[in-house]
Amino acid sequence: MIELKNVQKQFGRKKVLNGISFTIEKGEISCLVGVNGVGKTTILNAIMNLTPIKKGSITIDGKPLVPELYNNIAFIPDASISLPHFTVQESMDFMNDYYDTWNVKRAKDIVKFFRLNPSDKLRDLSKGNQAKVNLLLGLALDVDYILMDEPFSGIDIFTREQITEVFSSYLVEDRGVLITTHEINDIEHLLDKVILLDEGTIYKEFNAEVMRETEGKSVIDVMREVYNG
Amino acid sequence: MTVIFNKRDPIYLQVITHLKKLIVSGELRPGTEMPSRRQMANQMKINPNTVQRAYSEMEEQRLIFTEPNKPSRLTEDPAVLNQLKKEWLNQAIDRFVSAIDPIDMSLEELLPLIQEELSNRKKAAK
Repeated sequence: MIELKNVQKQFGRKKVLNGISFTIEKGEISCLVGVNGVGKTTILNAIMNLTPIKKGSITIDGKPLVPELYNNIAFIPDASISLPHFTVQESMDFMNDYYDTWNVKRAKDIVKFFRLNPSDKLRDLSKGNQAKVNLLLGLALDVDYILMDEPFSGIDIFTREQITEVFSSYLVEDRGVLITTHEINDIEHLLDKVILLDEGTIYKEFNAEVMRETEGKSVIDVMREVYNG
Repeated sequence: MTVIFNKRDPIYLQVITHLKKLIVSGELRPGTEMPSRRQMANQMKINPNTVQRAYSEMEEQRLIFTEPNKPSRLTEDPAVLNQLKKEWLNQAIDRFVSAIDPIDMSLEELLPLIQEELSNRKKAAK
């Protein structure tokens, strides 16, 4: 479990995270939802220590996040994590050289799953296929936790469907997944936990299935109440 | 297996209803081996935890059973299967009666209409 407790972050005088607490559990898909600029990416960056936090704590399986423990987390950012002149294969080889946790077999499976061509250069790929390569490079790592920043942004519907299939596949089995998105429509039936953010605070956190069962509301219904109400 | 889920009812209940329909229609034979929760999740494109919940619920209703280290299977118990058919029929009748309730019609007027619809469907199926 990754646990955030009262995480605070300021850029200059502007408070961007104002006491964020939640957990990412293994075997669950959690989703940070909110309009642009509410701090979704800042939270991921804080977990990865790409932006140090001012107050609060972040622990992984009960231990403070020290550099060695980051090899148990894959961070898949919104932008490409490989180089444009690399081919898909070269990108994978690079990961293999750099990361002990790189799983060659799983990488092969994902290439097949996404119908990617290993000899294609990244700069020649469509935006959708570039997003798939990004996911490939993160998902093929043998880690317990996966963070994905906006895996669906600016991607056509068919690629979105393919990416969505990842979440019900063995590729994320038993791992703790956290994704950020503002496009909940395609994925709400796949989520366990939903965390609604607003202005650096958590407005509401709930289990999507429990919400449907106890209140008969879809995730979008709840979002409408929170953001329009 | 493509199932369209609505967004407001618990998905696990929708999964159970879908599987019950396959059982009462005979598409899933008694004793059939069930896909693993991962396979089912992938086929239906839903969260594996949801399938897990649906399977446990169906196990409680004795519709499926699991022996140690074996895949789950559909029940072959005629009592359970008959009970399921009864339950399915009762729900269908309940929905039908609620739907026609606003129209004031007697059973005598309805019966030939139902019979006609049934025979039309049988013809269409051929």
